[in-house]
Amino acid sequence: MIELLNNQLTFRFPEVHPKASCRINFQRTLRIPDDNQEYPLPPGLGCFPVAHVDDFADKLPATWQTHGGIFIPMYQSEALWINFSGGYPCAVKIAAGKINAVSGKSWSNGLSDDPQDYAVIPDQPWLDGFNVSEDYIRQFVAMPLGGGYTAEEQITDKAEHGGLQIIVYPMKHDVYVEHFEGLVDTESDFLEIPAFLSKVCEESPDMGLAPGGLMRQTISEDKYGIDAWDQDNDRRCFIHLANSVQYQAITGHRPPHRPATAKEYTNAGLPWFDYYDDSKALPGSDALSKLTSVAAKVIEKGKGHLPDNDPVQPGIIKIVSKENVVRDGDF
Amino acid sequence: MTFGKYIREHREVLKAEDRRFSVRQVAQRIGVEPAYLSKIERGDVAPPSEAKIRALAGELNEDVDVLLAMAGKVSSDLQEIIRKRPQLFADLIRQLKSMQDHAILRIARDVRDGDW
Repeated sequence: MIELLNNQLTFRFPEVHPKASCRINFQRTLRIPDDNQEYPLPPGLGCFPVAHVDDFADKLPATWQTHGGIFIPMYQSEALWINFSGGYPCAVKIAAGKINAVSGKSWSNGLSDDPQDYAVIPDQPWLDGFNVSEDYIRQFVAMPLGGGYTAEEQITDKAEHGGLQIIVYPMKHDVYVEHFEGLVDTESDFLEIPAFLSKVCEESPDMGLAPGGLMRQTISEDKYGIDAWDQDNDRRCFIHLANSVQYQAITGHRPPHRPATAKEYTNAGLPWFDYYDDSKALPGSDALSKLTSVAAKVIEKGKGHLPDNDPVQPGIIKIVSKENVVRDGDF
Repeated sequence: MTFGKYIREHREVLKAEDRRFSVRQVAQRIGVEPAYLSKIERGDVAPPSEAKIRALAGELNEDVDVLLAMAGKVSSDLQEIIRKRPQLFADLIRQLKSMQDHAILRIARDVRDGDW
C-alpha cells in the first residue's frame, strides 16, 4: 500500500519482505538561476503539503479523479526536489507528464536497463530534475500546462498529462536476503528535514514540470542489476501539481508562501550543498538534453526575461555524504 | 435486520420511483428466477452466492461489503488476503475491533491509484 502521513508517501511491500518500504516526499526549494551556469544543490525548505485527490474530488478536474493519487500546490516557476529515504533497496521510476525524468522516454510500466530508466533507493537520496547529461540535471520547475514549457509538451507536442508519476519496485526477497540479511540493519531516516514552511500547501489548476537551471547531480547506475527488482510487486502514484493560486479555493487551506529567490537566500549567507559519492553515474538522456530551459523559452516566445533569474555566486557550500545526507535551509 | 428484509426495503424504495425495480425485472437482470428472489427477500431461503450478491449490490446501488456481511459472508478477495497472512490479519482485526472509525481509517487509508 501507499500511505500518506505528514505530507510523506510511504510505499510498503509487506508481501515481499517485512522491511520492504521506502519513503518519498516533495521538498520546496529555491529556483536556481536558469543561465546555463552550473549550480550546486539548493536547500530543502520543508515539504510541500500533500492532499488526497479523493478528498476534494468535486472541486478537481475529472481527469484527476480518473488518475487518483495526490496533489501538491506549486506556484508558477517554483522548483521542487524529490526526497527518497528508506533502508530497503527499491527501484523508483519517475516521470513528469509521463516523460521519464531519467531516460527521456515515454511512460511505461516495468523497468528498463537499456538505457536505465530508474533510480535506486537508498543509493540515490534525491532527484532534483531531468537527467540532461552525466552528472548534471536541469531543475524541475512548475509551469502551467499548455504554455509549451514542460518536458512533456516539448517532447510530445501535447499538454496531456502534467504532474509527476512515480512507480516503486522493491528488491526481490531472495536478493535482499543474500545481500543484507545478517548484516547490521541499514534502515535509516536519511532526511529528517524540518518542515520550516509547511503550515499546510487561470483556468485549469494543472501544472507540469519544465527544465530549469543546470545543477550538478549524479544519477547513479544500478549496482544490483535489473534482475534484482521484484517487478511483480509495484506501487505507483500520480502526483498532480495544482496551481497555488487555486489551491486555496480547492482545499480551503492557504498554500505556503513563495520561497525565497536564489539571490535572497545566497545574500543571507545561507548554505548551498554538494553531494559526493563514488557510484558510477548514468549518462544523460539525449531527448532530455535537447529540451529548451524555461528561461530560454521565455526569450524564444518574446516574453522578455524570466523574473528573479539573476546569476548568484553561492558562498557557503556544505559537503554532504551518504553518512550525512541533510540539505536543509532555514530561511 | 435480515439480509432479505434489507434487500426488499431498498428495492421497494427504488421501485416507487422506477418500475424497473420490480422483483421480476431485478431478478431478470441479476440472472435468477423471480420466485427465488422473492424467497430470498422473505427469508425463506439462505442468501444467494457472492456473485449474485455482487450483482444485487450493483443493481440496488448498495455497498457490496455491507450486503455480504449481512449475508454472513466475507468477500473472496478479503478471504484471499487473510489466507496469505492469517495470523497477522487475525491479530490486526482483533486489535482494531474496539477502535473508533476515524482511527481505523487513518491506519488503513491507501493512496488510490487510478487509470493513467
